[in-house]
Amino acid sequence: MATFTASSLSFTSLSISLDQNKGLARGSVSLPAKAKSFGALTLRSAPMRFRVSCAAKPETVEKVCEIVKKQLALPATTEVSGDSKFAALGADSLDTVEIVMGLEEEFGISVEEESAQTIATVQDAADLIEKLCEKKE
Amino acid sequence: MRMQCLDTKFFTSSTSLAPIQLPSRMETHLWYVIPNEVKSEQLLNKYLEFLPKSEKERVFSMRGDELQKGALLARALVRTTIARYQTNQVSPRSLKFRKNIHGKPEVDWQQIEDWHPQQLHFNISHTESLVACGVTTHNPIGIDIEEKERKIKHSISSFAKRYFSQQEVQLLSSISDPEIQRQEFIKLWTLKEAYVKALGRGFSGSPFKTFTIRSVAASKEGIHLSESSSSENSDIVVESLEDSANHTGDWRFALLELAGSHYAAICSKNHPMKMSVWRTIPLVEDEYVSGTDSVIAVGGLM
Repeated sequence: MATFTASSLSFTSLSISLDQNKGLARGSVSLPAKAKSFGALTLRSAPMRFRVSCAAKPETVEKVCEIVKKQLALPATTEVSGDSKFAALGADSLDTVEIVMGLEEEFGISVEEESAQTIATVQDAADLIEKLCEKKE
Repeated sequence: MRMQCLDTKFFTSSTSLAPIQLPSRMETHLWYVIPNEVKSEQLLNKYLEFLPKSEKERVFSMRGDELQKGALLARALVRTTIARYQTNQVSPRSLKFRKNIHGKPEVDWQQIEDWHPQQLHFNISHTESLVACGVTTHNPIGIDIEEKERKIKHSISSFAKRYFSQQEVQLLSSISDPEIQRQEFIKLWTLKEAYVKALGRGFSGSPFKTFTIRSVAASKEGIHLSESSSSENSDIVVESLEDSANHTGDWRFALLELAGSHYAAICSKNHPMKMSVWRTIPLVEDEYVSGTDSVIAVGGLM
């Protein structure tokens, strides 16, 4: 188990993420070690095609990462990806609300409080944006 | 009943912690830790031992040393504090937490043998530089802290228009000095957050636009003698813009300047809300700081 040492804190990475450019899904699918129910979604080893509904385009995810990095004033070298959790990056409630506002401005959408409350990761935000953008059309 | 200031610094290698007395229905307790005061890696590892696996994992999922330390201190503070309030020896490790249906964390008392819950309620808030835990009995509590110097990325006016009520927007826009406007904005944010957290229904359960928080001249029965030298004679009240059956009159607020660096908003139904504040380093020391420069009333009932 990780412990605190004099020089640094050891970091145990628990999330597994599929590279967005490879893998089977059009968007990225994140599989946190802590169980999150995916319902009917099962992964099989045979080549297959499946589409994760509401999976956002990589460009959307990228844009969200930019907005998050800017809001939290993260160093450019910080790795932020689809399964990055806002809270883990240091976002408090005021940051999260500003991030939502930033997304609304960037994408020309309006995010209801109920939806905003469910956003925990960059991917969540990107998926919501695409859903709201589709509604606009 | 007030806690005496503990003059003795003590460090124990066992998990026995100095007991503390529960607040009465008319009191609110606030405990805070300043992360910069906790440097010992040995102490941090002791705190780590209090956490179950899932909480440890969450601490280490935070990106960066400072965020990990803050997350660890928050869990250590809430676990040690609640354990100390128990009349039976309860180890901080043994406490179980769960979330109510809206996601508000609470203690899962059923898991503790021989415990008769005196309806202990708690709420945590932390920034990079301060970790706080509020405790009440009989009624829920919500707290929120922000660094006094906190600046937001958006303009205050556009942020307020997006999230705050109309009256609050008007109030903020009437302040011409940008620095004072920024301070009032931060104070208002902490009050609104504390209220929503006290309600425990989540951000969407009580959208910020649907209620107004403001200061009013204190009503006679609302004034209570406070230990601080300069408490303003004003009450902080909340008005719901939706449901008039919300009984918003039951909620009490206190707004403090804490440790010279933070605004702290506390919301509960306890009345009068007599605040007792301690600066603490779990397992090491407590310092009762009410009535000192570390706790300055900015408004509301003390």
